[in-house]
Amino acid sequence: MKKRLLLLLMVSLTAPALAQIPTDGLMMPTGALCTGFMYQHDSWKEYWEGPLKRDNLNIGQFTGQNVMWYGVYGVSPKLNLMAALPYVANKVSLGTLMPMSGLQDLSVAGKYKLLEVQAGPGKFYTFVGAQFSAPMSNYSPDFLPISLGLHTKNGGGRLTLNYTLANGFYLNTNGGYTWRSNTKLDRPAYFTDGTYYSSDIVDMPNTVDYKVDVGYHKGALQAELTYMQMNTLGGGDIRRQDMPFASNRMNAQRVGVLLMYYVPFIKNLGVRGAVNYTVGGRNVGQTTSIIGGILYTIRFKNPTTGQEPQS
Amino acid sequence: MKKISTLFVALIIFVSACNEVPINQELKTLAPANLDEDAGTWTPIFLASTSAVLLAPPPDDTAPARKTELDAIKNIQANLTPEQIKAIEYWSSGGVLRWNEILRGLVSEFNLPPAPNNLGTYPAPDAENPFGDPNFPFANPPYASRAYSYVAAAQYDALATAWHYKYVHNRQSPYNADSGIEALMTKTSLPSYPSEGAVMSSVTAEILKLMFPAAVERITTMAAQQRNAALWSGKAAASDISAGLQLGKDVAAIFTARARTDGMAVAGGNPQLWAALKTNAETRGEIAWLSLEIPPRPPMLPYFGLRNATPTIPGAKAWMMSDADIEKERPAAPPPTASEEMAKEVAEVYYYTTHVTRERLAIVHKWADGAGTYTPPGHWDEIASHYIEAANMSEVRAARAYAYLNVALHDAAVGCWETKYFYFNPRPSQMDPAIKTATGVPNFPAYTSGHSTYSGAAAAVLSYLFPGDSPFFNEQATEASLSRLYGGIHYQSDCNMGLEHGKVIAEYTLTRARGDGADN
Repeated sequence: MKKRLLLLLMVSLTAPALAQIPTDGLMMPTGALCTGFMYQHDSWKEYWEGPLKRDNLNIGQFTGQNVMWYGVYGVSPKLNLMAALPYVANKVSLGTLMPMSGLQDLSVAGKYKLLEVQAGPGKFYTFVGAQFSAPMSNYSPDFLPISLGLHTKNGGGRLTLNYTLANGFYLNTNGGYTWRSNTKLDRPAYFTDGTYYSSDIVDMPNTVDYKVDVGYHKGALQAELTYMQMNTLGGGDIRRQDMPFASNRMNAQRVGVLLMYYVPFIKNLGVRGAVNYTVGGRNVGQTTSIIGGILYTIRFKNPTTGQEPQS
Repeated sequence: MKKISTLFVALIIFVSACNEVPINQELKTLAPANLDEDAGTWTPIFLASTSAVLLAPPPDDTAPARKTELDAIKNIQANLTPEQIKAIEYWSSGGVLRWNEILRGLVSEFNLPPAPNNLGTYPAPDAENPFGDPNFPFANPPYASRAYSYVAAAQYDALATAWHYKYVHNRQSPYNADSGIEALMTKTSLPSYPSEGAVMSSVTAEILKLMFPAAVERITTMAAQQRNAALWSGKAAASDISAGLQLGKDVAAIFTARARTDGMAVAGGNPQLWAALKTNAETRGEIAWLSLEIPPRPPMLPYFGLRNATPTIPGAKAWMMSDADIEKERPAAPPPTASEEMAKEVAEVYYYTTHVTRERLAIVHKWADGAGTYTPPGHWDEIASHYIEAANMSEVRAARAYAYLNVALHDAAVGCWETKYFYFNPRPSQMDPAIKTATGVPNFPAYTSGHSTYSGAAAAVLSYLFPGDSPFFNEQATEASLSRLYGGIHYQSDCNMGLEHGKVIAEYTLTRARGDGADN
């Protein structure tokens, strides 16, 4: 059920959401800022209670929506910096539980191009990245699946390997490891993973994720098919008929398709759309995500000389 | 690149610089301020007297067997493993506090409602098949308050009995009898026959095995560890422990006999009885309570408090109140469901659920105490644990504190459940489906609030035990009570009346407490 949270993390840090994101094989040119807003709509009716897939008539359909500001800036030909901040609204269609909404976590990430070499008919790239995120509001992580998130500070590193042919086809793989801080509940004790804790602090296991993309990117068009896997390295299952808990072992396998297109009649404007579907999981909802965004690129410096552009 | 790696390392250090989360409550080593030598004269909760259960005298300490016993302890102490040392440290904080913590964990673990089956009905937990799906028990608030009260009352009665025999026989602890034996728990002059740790281990284990049969392995393992810790620490000899083990079992037998006839087994009622509750409310012209779960779930333990169930229940439900007392103290009727006053109360609930603040949400979640938690009685036991620890109470006095707290909490549950099913009043979300809640809607009638009744009773008992902190307890009780209004699951009148009712119920327990001889 809390898939949602993971999803958000992936959107803000790892999902194929923008022209240039921490997990893809692209770089913004030096001095260029690409910024805009993305809208995401997630929904599920079934979820995995541990390994058991079920529905829940007291939840009905879960719907999570977010509007995310996003920006990426080309600091140098080899270094990009990114930031994202989503506003999240979650609700369920049946039962009595109330909806929740608010600012979620700000994430910032850096991506560095380590290697770019000609290899056969194409080019091979290697990128390394670091990312950090922190909650921007005092939301509660103790009302899953409706909570906005898990309210942890996260830090992580990732590695991207990319091979792009001259004709525009590419294969991209990316893996990341995320360290998560403890989270804090509003109550003095809790039970999870077979143990009763006399504490309001919850140890949050770290996560790993990886994905493989096959795509085409030439001129104004980018199209991509993706497989993603995300695993939590510890945590307990949702017990039979129990509520989900912040530190549950949330795993998900997802497939997705992405389209990015630069509108020909408006210079520097791009639109982006993606659909992701959860094909397998544990302690997460079987989510269908629909993502749409509009992005605008502002060039502060000439991309080749690094100088202010001549007008 | 260098900058990036520096940033990266800094991030990792920042994120991973978090403390390990301790599993067990961090308790100091118990060094009782007072041995309470006269506890053998205090009035027990349920036993006729502290000498009602018999105990054989200890073996002759001049016989050679005594030396063998003491030498055995020396031998163990010379070869203690790290695990044994950890066990001694764990139990040296006091068995009463540790068992209460273990019980809070058991309640949390077993506090899960059954899942609906394919037919849209809910299989009932089955005491004869405790490992099945659903597990037995469903340790919901009434079940939990009953379990806490049996454990606490039996521990107190068993320890008061142990204190009686300790000072009848005045047998020295091994660490006092033999200078070659170390005191690995706080050294006192408390006589060791019977061992209070062994008494507690068996009286608690026997009751928990009845209440939580699927946890038998953990219960008996912890009980054995407590006895071992008493032996290894030099506090008790093998004969002190075997006497304590037997005494605890004998006391437990009296309590488990009561538990088997206290009506819990038929508290769930049956479809005919559930229908009768509805008819009863409708006959009075009221909107009857309906389960808001999908599919509808049978009401939680309607005959936990109500007496007119069939078959007739032979035993007593409450500890300090008769059936007549329970009826006499039942709160006056809530506002009629069709009244303007009720409409105002519904509107007030709607206001809180549409004007949620972070502060109020924190209060709702702090006191949610719903499925998968130790329930409100466990929450008050958790609060009490800090005060009992700080007061350096002897084990028998700590047991007394938990006994009165949990007996009052149980009686509050009986009184509150009787009220709930007598009036069978709908929840706010039934009156107005636009009311969306910040915590789960409990599956039983609204009037009066269980949290409020529990909290009113708990604050009254804790105020008696720790008078200096009375304002804090009352403030917590009010907060717990209002949390149900803020969360959208109770009307203001449920909360106000529940708090008052809880205080009235606690007075029955306090009347006993004030005269039991422990305050002299």
